Amino acid sequence: MTDITGATADTMNNFIGLSAVLTGFATSIIAPTLDPVDIKSEYLPVFTQKITEESKDPTLVTTILQKYAALKAQQLSDQQIGTQMLAPDNGTNFVLACRKLIFMWYSGAWPTIIPATNKDPETTVSDMISAKSYTTGLVWQVMQAHPMGDSNYRYGYWAKAPAALSAYTGHQGGAV
Amino acid sequence: MSAQTNYDVIIVGSGIAGSIMAYQLGMAGKKVLILEAGQEVPVDRSGYMETFFKANAKTPESPYPPTTQNPAVSTAYNPLGLPDPAKENVPRYTVLQIGAWRNPKQCYFDYTPQPEHLKPDSPEAKFAFASSYERIGGGTTWHWLGTSLHLLPNDFELQTQYKQGVDWPGGKQFYQALVPYYEQATNEIGVAGDKEAMDELYRGFNVSPDGVYGANYDYPMPGIVSSLVDQQYEQAVSDMVYDKIKLSVTPTPQGRNSLPGERRQCAGNTNCIPICPIQAKYDATVTLGRALQTGNVDVFYRHVATNVQVDENTKDVVGIDYVTYQTHGGVATGGGTVTAKKYVIAAHAIETPKLLLMSKRNKACPNGVANHSDQVGRNLMDHIMYLAWGLAKDPVYGFREPLSTAGIESLRDGAFRKDRAAYRIEIGNEGWQWAANDPFTTLADFVFGQNNSQLNGDSVNQQGISLRFDPAMPANSSLFGASLVSTLNGIYTRQIRMGYLIEQLPDPENRVELSETLTDNLGLPRPKLTYQVREDYVRNAFVSAKDISTKLFDALGAREYTKAPSAPVFYGDKREVTSNNFEYQGNNFTFYGAGHIVGTYRMGDCRDTSVVNPRQQSWDHSNLFLVGSGVFPTVATGNPTLTLAALAFQAADHVLADLKAS
Repeated sequence: MTDITGATADTMNNFIGLSAVLTGFATSIIAPTLDPVDIKSEYLPVFTQKITEESKDPTLVTTILQKYAALKAQQLSDQQIGTQMLAPDNGTNFVLACRKLIFMWYSGAWPTIIPATNKDPETTVSDMISAKSYTTGLVWQVMQAHPMGDSNYRYGYWAKAPAALSAYTGHQGGAV
Repeated sequence: MSAQTNYDVIIVGSGIAGSIMAYQLGMAGKKVLILEAGQEVPVDRSGYMETFFKANAKTPESPYPPTTQNPAVSTAYNPLGLPDPAKENVPRYTVLQIGAWRNPKQCYFDYTPQPEHLKPDSPEAKFAFASSYERIGGGTTWHWLGTSLHLLPNDFELQTQYKQGVDWPGGKQFYQALVPYYEQATNEIGVAGDKEAMDELYRGFNVSPDGVYGANYDYPMPGIVSSLVDQQYEQAVSDMVYDKIKLSVTPTPQGRNSLPGERRQCAGNTNCIPICPIQAKYDATVTLGRALQTGNVDVFYRHVATNVQVDENTKDVVGIDYVTYQTHGGVATGGGTVTAKKYVIAAHAIETPKLLLMSKRNKACPNGVANHSDQVGRNLMDHIMYLAWGLAKDPVYGFREPLSTAGIESLRDGAFRKDRAAYRIEIGNEGWQWAANDPFTTLADFVFGQNNSQLNGDSVNQQGISLRFDPAMPANSSLFGASLVSTLNGIYTRQIRMGYLIEQLPDPENRVELSETLTDNLGLPRPKLTYQVREDYVRNAFVSAKDISTKLFDALGAREYTKAPSAPVFYGDKREVTSNNFEYQGNNFTFYGAGHIVGTYRMGDCRDTSVVNPRQQSWDHSNLFLVGSGVFPTVATGNPTLTLAALAFQAADHVLADLKAS
């Protein structure tokens, strides 16, 4: 089955699974059952397009997702899958694509790495993908807060400690 | 050119000062016209919010038109896509332009050149001005923080008490006369404040509470609930003494709703700057709306005042010329002159002197209107800020509150003030967002193995302490999954920041002039600035701020991450020169702006050394009033908005009295 972006259901499922493993957030947060925001459907085409453009490798995204699917089929733990996905022997572009996927989910923005110079260290700049991606950035969840400018809380809630981290990541006990 | 003549008062500018004037005059039955250069107040703020959410750099100006950054025109030399001010009808100075201050294709201001042969610590070094403003309906209160502190009586007598700067006209008597107007301003803004805490603070400065509020007066709303960040400081500083002064933490009176009312209760969006999404924070559109509801006030948007007409014989102002436009980059669509009995210019401390200086084609005013004293545009000031940041021992859970809910106010006055500038210490609730562009810098560090936050490498702080967040991890770690979550959580929930609002002295060489070469899209000259920090008095406060920060972090049990700035670069490639870095007593410093643009049409009791008299009335033109923080003779030790609002209420009374007399 192919949706309007050309992605198959398997592609999307693998994208969600890989995203959850790499970000450390549960799939229930990455892609909730009821998902009116549906940021995953915005991210998959951005990821595909950007990685294809930057790597000049039209098969790289498919390769990444297939590798994830293969590791998943071996019933490895999230930690084992993540470690293998980010292993240097996958190739520089492969690993960088996975790292950019993490950054995108956390920030809602697409990163560009500015190499170090004699004077300045390596830095990252980024382009915000959309208003929705800004507010769904996982970075606000990992700090147990809310997007700056998009609070769903009520007056004075800040005087108490927030809910446990697990309530934000979807993983019980704060662990993945 | 058409003329409209049925108004009692014309006001240039719809920010808080102009709106208060319009509201007071309109309520008194006077016919008022506001000319606003920028675009109209939107029906709701969702459009501004959308622009903010999408902006790559969440600067104070990022939500507002015209756009401050356009990735579509990004180039290697202009990565954020800053627009060319020459092609905009109402350009303004933005935070993003500070780094491009020597590039007029990106920076609205022209700057005078550096003197030759500067050393890194030369007092004559020139800097970029570090604060910005808006040109839109409602003005810069769209992105004010909301801090609503009264100034201290000694702030009005800096010369008398400490032999520094100048006094305000009348000194402490001026303050006493302002007390009832402070009360009006506090009510208009709807300040939430804890009177008992403020009484205690003022007693520490030997000011009786009645001398601050008026008898039996309290804030209109209870104080905003303090943050967990504040509570950490309260415990830590209670035993501290600095410069022979016992320190304490005081909850900040602030212009945001602690109770539901006409506006919503604060929901802790942590976004007062750039924009409160729910208008829990007061902004001048509130007062502008009240002004319009009187039925006596008109506002013309996209009307840019270009000249103040002065009668050659009477010296009275007889009209304001303007041009109009429809789109930000489009051609001028018309123009005209409006006339009234009295005139008020309330266009901020950069655009007001610009307009007065632009009006030099009047035969009677070859140096510009209201400028017999040659003080128009001079004495430009700001609170120049020192930032210090660190990681608390335990989580304090910032990023959830208003941007700041408390401060250390104890060092706003004291005997030290004969030797160094005073400051207040603002306690930030927004982690390292301002200090280090977090959460994005730390995120990139731990995703890509970088170390721009200093948390993921071999950095040490200025006390030689290792800054790697987790000593068990190798430098330049690239994380994923559970370790990424726990590392980022451990960092973000502990981030703290202090901002020192350092009092700058009036310096006649710090000034706004007209550029001889640069214009905007309407052909109007752009401001040309000269900005220095010449006095050891001010530079000493940076040394003090650095020193006390380290002591405060020690008391908190926190680790300091304040990054020493690079050495100043005054010459060479315009992309390489630094904007705000200087050296002093062997330390490199950088300063930030507080957005407190002050002093360029100062008030005084001598017509040869000030622009307006204590009534905020031009010495030269009796029917012209200048309002806003440009009238402040000194920048003082509190954020200026409450005081400039009080002064606007006072000026409205003076205008009404003059209208009655005439």
